[in-house]
Amino acid sequence: MLRIQDLSKHFGGLRAISDVSIAVDEGEMVGIIGPNGAGKSTLFNLITGNLRPTAGRIEFMGHDIVGTKPHAIAGLGIGRTFQLNPLFAEFTVLENVQASFFLKPKSGLIATFFGLASYRRNEAIVTRKAQEILELLGLDDVRDEPAKSLPQGRQKLLGIARALAIQPRLLLLDEPLGGLSRTEIDSTMQVIQALRTTGMTILLVEHNMIVMDIVDRIHVLNFGCRIASGTMEELRRNPAVIEAYFGTD
Amino acid sequence: MEPLFEILVSAVLLSSMYVLAAAGFALVLSIMNILNFAHGAIYMVGGFLCYEFSVGYGLNQWLALALSAASMALFGLFLERFLFRRFYGDFFSSVIVSIAVIFVLQTTINLTVAVNVRALPTFAPGMLHLGSVTVSMERLVTAAIGVALLAAMVVFVRVSRTGQQMLAVAQDAEGAALQGIRIHRLAAIAMAAGCAMAAIAGSFMGAVFDLNSTMGDLILVKVMQVVILSGIGSLGGILIGGLVIGSVDSILPLFTTPAITQAVGVAIVIALLLVKPQGLFGREMG
Amino acid sequence: MTNTNRAILCVCVIVVLVIVPLLIESPYTFRLFILTFVYVTAAASLRTLALSGQVSMGHAAFMSIGAYTSALLARYGDFSPWLTMPMGGLAAMIVAVLVGFPFARVRTIYFSMVSLFFGIGVLSVYSIFGKYTGHINGLIGIPPLFAGARLPYYYYFLALMVACLAVLWRFEKCRIGTCLKAINQSHVVAASVGISEVKFRVLALAMSCFVVGLVGAGYAHYNMVISYSAFDLPASINLLVYMLVGGISSFAGPIIGAAVLFVVPELFRDLKEYTPYLYAGILLFVVFAMPEGLVGIPDRLGSWLKSKHR
Repeated sequence: MLRIQDLSKHFGGLRAISDVSIAVDEGEMVGIIGPNGAGKSTLFNLITGNLRPTAGRIEFMGHDIVGTKPHAIAGLGIGRTFQLNPLFAEFTVLENVQASFFLKPKSGLIATFFGLASYRRNEAIVTRKAQEILELLGLDDVRDEPAKSLPQGRQKLLGIARALAIQPRLLLLDEPLGGLSRTEIDSTMQVIQALRTTGMTILLVEHNMIVMDIVDRIHVLNFGCRIASGTMEELRRNPAVIEAYFGTD
Repeated sequence: MEPLFEILVSAVLLSSMYVLAAAGFALVLSIMNILNFAHGAIYMVGGFLCYEFSVGYGLNQWLALALSAASMALFGLFLERFLFRRFYGDFFSSVIVSIAVIFVLQTTINLTVAVNVRALPTFAPGMLHLGSVTVSMERLVTAAIGVALLAAMVVFVRVSRTGQQMLAVAQDAEGAALQGIRIHRLAAIAMAAGCAMAAIAGSFMGAVFDLNSTMGDLILVKVMQVVILSGIGSLGGILIGGLVIGSVDSILPLFTTPAITQAVGVAIVIALLLVKPQGLFGREMG
Repeated sequence: MTNTNRAILCVCVIVVLVIVPLLIESPYTFRLFILTFVYVTAAASLRTLALSGQVSMGHAAFMSIGAYTSALLARYGDFSPWLTMPMGGLAAMIVAVLVGFPFARVRTIYFSMVSLFFGIGVLSVYSIFGKYTGHINGLIGIPPLFAGARLPYYYYFLALMVACLAVLWRFEKCRIGTCLKAINQSHVVAASVGISEVKFRVLALAMSCFVVGLVGAGYAHYNMVISYSAFDLPASINLLVYMLVGGISSFAGPIIGAAVLFVVPELFRDLKEYTPYLYAGILLFVVFAMPEGLVGIPDRLGSWLKSKHR
C-alpha cells in the first residue's frame, strides 16, 4: 500500500533522512523505532506532505504522492496523529471529532450554507459516527468537555479519534505512547490492538518498546538511516541495533 | 532637477528622522512584544511641546527641544508602568490601549495648542554655500544631528550593559529572562528613550516641514514600514531599513507623484511580508 | 443564552428598529441610525474574517472598493444604483479572492500588517487615478438610491443589515464556520483531516468582503459623496476596535461594539471636543476590566445582581 524508496531529506548540512526504503502492505502493522533524533517524525512529515523530500519516491496505492499538500494527503486516505498532539483545543471532545469528519461524508458548499437536506443528512451521519469513534476509544464520557481540559493520555486518544474520522486506509501513529502514565499506556495499547483486529493498516513510530510486541515488522532508524529490519526476535540479536538503541537492555 | 548634494542631504535627513522615530517603536515591540500605535502621536506631541516651550514660553529652541524630549520620556515611563505593563505579548490589547492614548493626545493638542498647521521656527537659519552647491542650513544641521544621535544610540547599545541586555532581549526574550535580566526595567528604559527620540524627530520634522495634529498618523505608517523592512532584533537592520525607506521617500517624489511613491513603499512592504515576514535582518515576531 | 431566548431577543430588537423611524423627526438621528447599521454590518463582516485567525487592519479598504465601484459605475456609466451596488460587492469580493491566495498563508500578526498596508495601497491607487476618483475632495454627484425621502433609506439599511447578519451568522454556524475555527486553533491538524487552510481562508475573505463591499456601496449612494478619508487607516482601525472591544469571541461582539462605540460618543456630543476622552475611557475600561469585551456586560450584570440577592 505504501512504498517509500530511497527517501532522503536534508536540512542544509543536516541529513535528517538518508536513503530510507520502507514498504507497508495492506492490513499490516509496521513499527519504526530508533533513538531520539533518528528522524522518525521527519519521516512522517515527509509522507504527509508537511515536508518536501530532497530525493526519493513515496508511493501510496501505486501513485506518487511526493509534493502533495497535507490536506490532499488526507483526502487520499492517509490519517495521522502528531507527536506533540496539537488539538482543536477550544472545541469539545465531540466537536473535535465532528470537525474532523470534513472529508467523508462531503457536503457541497451550497448545501452546507443553505442547510439543504443532503447536508443535514450528512451531519446526522457525522454525529452518529463520531459517537461510535468516541465509544471505541473510551472518550464518550467526556464528549462535552473542552479538549484542552483532558489529561495527556486521553488527549492522545482524542488525536487518534480525529485521525479515524477521515476513515483512513493508512493510519500513521506518531509516538502514541509518548508521555503517558502506566494506565494510559494500557488503554492506548488496547485501542491500537482493537484497530489492528479491524484490519486497519498502521504505520507507527514509537520510542517505547512495549508496542513492538504486536507489530508485524519493525524497522530501526538511526541518524536518518535504516539500520535494520525484522521481527523483535531478530532485532534483539542484531548487534548494530543493540549498539544503537538497546544499550544496556 | 536638484543638485545631487541636496538630494543626498534630504535622504540622510529623512532616513535619520525615520530611524529616530522607528527605533522606539521597534525597541518596544522587541522587548515588550506590543504594538504601540501611539508612537506616532508621541512624535507629534513632541513637536508641539517644542513649539510651546520655544515660541509659547520664549525659551531657547534647543532648550525647548531638550525639555520636550524629557517630557515625552517621562510620559513614556508612565505609559509603560500603568498602561502597557499588563499587556506584554498581547498585540490586540496593546493596540486598543494605544488607540485610546492617541485619542487623548490628539484631542489634548487640539484643545490646548489649536489645530492650525504651523511650523516650528528653524533650528538653524540660512543657507550654506559650498562652491557651486547651495543647501539649507537647517536640513544640513538636522541631518547631521540625526546621524550623530543615531551614532550615539549605536554606541550606547553596543557598549553599555543596559544596551547589551536590550539587544539580548530583543533577540531572544526567553533566554534573556532565564539569565535574570529584568524585563520591566529594560522596558521602561526602552519606552522612555524611544519616546524621547520620537519627540526629537517630531521637533526637527516640525521645523523642516510643519506641525499638524495628524503628522503622527503619517509617521506611524513610515515607522512600520521601516520595522517591517528591517525586522526586529537587529540594530544595524533598523538603520538600513530607515535608509531605504527614507531614500525612497526623498528621491522618488522628484520623479513621480506622491501617490505613486506611497504605492511603491506599500508594495515593498507587502512583498516583504509575503516572502520574508521577519524582515531582512530580524527574528520572528510574536 | 439559549437559542430560543436569542431568537426572541433578535425579533424584539428588529421590531423596535422597525418602529423607531416612525417616531423620530430629526435628520441627524436618522443619519445616526443608518450609519450605525452600516458600521455594525462592517464590523460583523470583519469578524467572519477573524474566525480563521486573520485579523484585518485594512477592512475599510474593501468597503471603499465596493463604494467606489458602485459610485463610478452609476455616475459615469449611468447605471441604476440597484444594479451597481451588487457589482460593488462583487468587485470587493473579486479583489479579496485575488489577494486572498497570497495572503492566506501569512501568520496572524503579519496578516494584520499586510492588510494594514494593503488598505493604504488601495487608497494610493485611488489617489493615482484621482482624476476619476475625485482627489482629496471626494467623488461627488453620486446618484442616490431614493430621491429625497429619508425613511426608505432607513428601511433599506435596516433590511440590509439584518440580511447580512443572517448570512454571516449562518456562515459561521454551519460546517464552513467550524472549519474556519478549526484552522484558527491548529491549521496543521485541520490539514491532517483534509481542511485546506488556503481555500477556507479565501472563502472567508470573499464572504466578508462581499458583505462589506455591498454595504460600502450602499453608503456611497446614501451619502452621495465619498472621499478617501471615509476609508482610510483610522477607519479600518475603528472597525477593528469595534470588534475587539465588543468581544471577538462572540458573534454579537462586533455588533455591540459598533453600536456602543459609534452611538455613545454621539449621545454625549454635548461634550463636544471632549468626546474623544470618553471614547478613550471606554476603550481603556474594557481592556483593563472586561477582557471578554462589551458582550460580557449582561453576564457580569447578572452575576452582580445575583450576588446582591444573597
